[in-house]
Amino acid sequence: MSTKRILSRANLDALIRDLIAAGTVVVAPTHSSGQERTGVTYGQVQSPDEVLLDGPQPIRPLKEVVFPPTEALFRWRQEKSAVKIEEVPTGFKETVVIGARPCDAAGLEVVDCVMGWDFRDELWFGRRQATTVLAMACTTCDESCFCTAVGLSPTSTRGADWFLTPVDGGFEVDVLTPKGEAVLERYKARCPETEGPAPSRTAGLEQQVRANLDVRPDRIRGWLETHFDDPLWKRVALRCHGCGACAFVCPSCHCFDIVDEPDGADSGTRRRNWDSCQTALFTLHGSGHNPRKDQTARFRQRIMHKFSIYPARFGEVLCTGCGRCVRVCAAGMDLVSILAEIDRAAQGGAET
Amino acid sequence: MSAPVTVGDGAFEPSIVAFVCNWCTYTGADLAGTSRILMADNVRIIRLPCTGRIDTLFILKAFERGADGVIVSGCHPADCHYTAGNYHARRRFAIFRELMNFVGIDPRRVTFSWVSASEGGKWAEVVNGTTEQVRQLGPFAMYPEA
Amino acid sequence: MQELRELARKLLQEKQVSAILGYEHGRMGTRPAFVTDVADCERLVFDHRCVQNLAAYLSPRRTHVAALGRLAVVVKSCDARAVAGLIRESQIKREDVVLIGVRCGGVVRDPADARPLSADNVAPRCVDCEKREPTLADHLVGEPKPAPAGSGSRDARLSEIEAMSPDERLTLWMELLAPCTRCHACRQVCPMCFCERCIAEKTQPTWIETSPHARGNLAWHLTRALHLAGRCVDCGECERACPAEIPLGLLNRKVARVVADRYGYVVADDPSKPTPIGTYQLDDAQEFIQ
Repeated sequence: MSTKRILSRANLDALIRDLIAAGTVVVAPTHSSGQERTGVTYGQVQSPDEVLLDGPQPIRPLKEVVFPPTEALFRWRQEKSAVKIEEVPTGFKETVVIGARPCDAAGLEVVDCVMGWDFRDELWFGRRQATTVLAMACTTCDESCFCTAVGLSPTSTRGADWFLTPVDGGFEVDVLTPKGEAVLERYKARCPETEGPAPSRTAGLEQQVRANLDVRPDRIRGWLETHFDDPLWKRVALRCHGCGACAFVCPSCHCFDIVDEPDGADSGTRRRNWDSCQTALFTLHGSGHNPRKDQTARFRQRIMHKFSIYPARFGEVLCTGCGRCVRVCAAGMDLVSILAEIDRAAQGGAET
Repeated sequence: MSAPVTVGDGAFEPSIVAFVCNWCTYTGADLAGTSRILMADNVRIIRLPCTGRIDTLFILKAFERGADGVIVSGCHPADCHYTAGNYHARRRFAIFRELMNFVGIDPRRVTFSWVSASEGGKWAEVVNGTTEQVRQLGPFAMYPEA
Repeated sequence: MQELRELARKLLQEKQVSAILGYEHGRMGTRPAFVTDVADCERLVFDHRCVQNLAAYLSPRRTHVAALGRLAVVVKSCDARAVAGLIRESQIKREDVVLIGVRCGGVVRDPADARPLSADNVAPRCVDCEKREPTLADHLVGEPKPAPAGSGSRDARLSEIEAMSPDERLTLWMELLAPCTRCHACRQVCPMCFCERCIAEKTQPTWIETSPHARGNLAWHLTRALHLAGRCVDCGECERACPAEIPLGLLNRKVARVVADRYGYVVADDPSKPTPIGTYQLDDAQEFIQ
């Protein structure tokens, strides 16, 4: 039921203004504030001027919008022997994301699997439900991008309610979901239907990304399933600091820690916070035993979870090839090289 | 976090936490009490064995939990019951004070003092002076609601 | 570079060490390299893209690295300060590591930067560097290099902040620390953050809340800056590793300035020089104490 329409830049700006005026939270790639920060991030914007649609990939993942780094789960108060639980307000503000990268939009769908698996995470789905994603085809990529290697592409529409493709004069709009239709209904005037295709500005990008990494996830998974003790892990993990920055910038990492924060003797807040399997504390038992006692085991776990365990359970690779882990890693771990090496080994190529 | 304390006419009364060493300042404070010296009652005392035990996190934690001001006090240099605890503390406090100031925590909210066991009068001055100073500065509204 | 590679081969062949910890060119720029085979020594490089501080890998906490055995580590003069710190604080013994000092002419900010070194891309700390070869070293390789081009004091921003009012400073820092997600990359890459159990991981009581909100973030960053007083070697790795672009160096530089001004102490690569926080003078300044 997709309808092709053209959204001029002027009309996009007007759409953004309309949304903001209607009280919708509008999130888009935008410049970080302050002289110390140069990166682009997804942030709430108050005007179309703050929206940056042809800049580099935002340095923080879109998952923040539906899965904040910290959120309160409930508050408690003890009164004599009774404990009162106060649910934290769970109304979620209607949010529209404009200019989400395909790798970020797809990440949301991939994580949906585990969030709806054995326990339905109402906070995740509540925010998902309230968020409409207007994804946009990439016009730039760099040597860290590898979305094509995990079944996606610079024009992938996974996770998108609208998909915008930059064309001369503006954007071609594909309305893909009922949620997207609902937004279209309200702002139809901004996106007139049009005759005839307009030239696309995204040609060639897919080839560039494929040149970064050309592997088969099923082959990699096969190797992972049979090489738990391979010397590759020990060798590759040596330079890893176990900092977890990779997990925190990843669109598909979703592990969290739950903490209780008392604010007095008899009241407090329970929160959940982002966490990473790369820290020693992650699997440390109360007894003192740690089943993943060194970085070799922890780094191996990261790769296996993403490329073997999650695919086995949900049929999805837990990676969207956005490349942030490669860019942010202080030690130059370079997941692209590691996956290439594993794929080669899986083909019986160079020795590990 | 607790709302600022106000009394009768709505005037702000600061909440002040004092971290003091057992051997000198705590005893000095006791002397101030037994001498019936009038002091502001805004201060809650927490007794440690020595200023050397006072981690700068205590100061931060006090502010986090609603204190408007903090007093840190111990034995004079050369009089430390544990010989050198206050020497180590002195360096630590000096650095932390400047670091706190650098991030915008007004150093006038934290009073450091050496008060000996016989200086009941001095303790009263520290208490009254700090209370008045913090009253002038107003409630400590550092953290937005977490 | 050949000098470095030959030395590495010799050390391995003579079994003086089990592995060389140096730098190599990876796909995404220069990165740490662990070489255990003589044939692999060809991978070792040293140039202006060798940004990382390899001393971070020497902590005994990194059991997977310690399992390699005795290491030879390539160190710039800044890195050697960290090695000295580890020795000073009894984390490693001097005789347990072989130090290959390199003469350095400055490094870039980003190891992936393929451009030649210039005033535009040089790491700010290199412009201020006073000693471009380490004293703490078993070997010294490379040609002496001139000081890197570059200008502007790093402390200009410090002075700017100091000139603000307390409220302006607080607003600034709350904003700067807001994107912190508490990944602790700053701690993990720091050679001097080697505690088996970091204070941020302690509960009963929880001194530093682990949540990435304003309270937790401020407590964490202030505490880390204080715990590094007189110990931070100014390698800049924390700031480089931070995925949220927080200017951590400002906090560490401020504390370093306080320590230098008050106690005349500047971090050096001399393990016998005691750290200022573990020591004291009877006449330390106490003008702030009533």
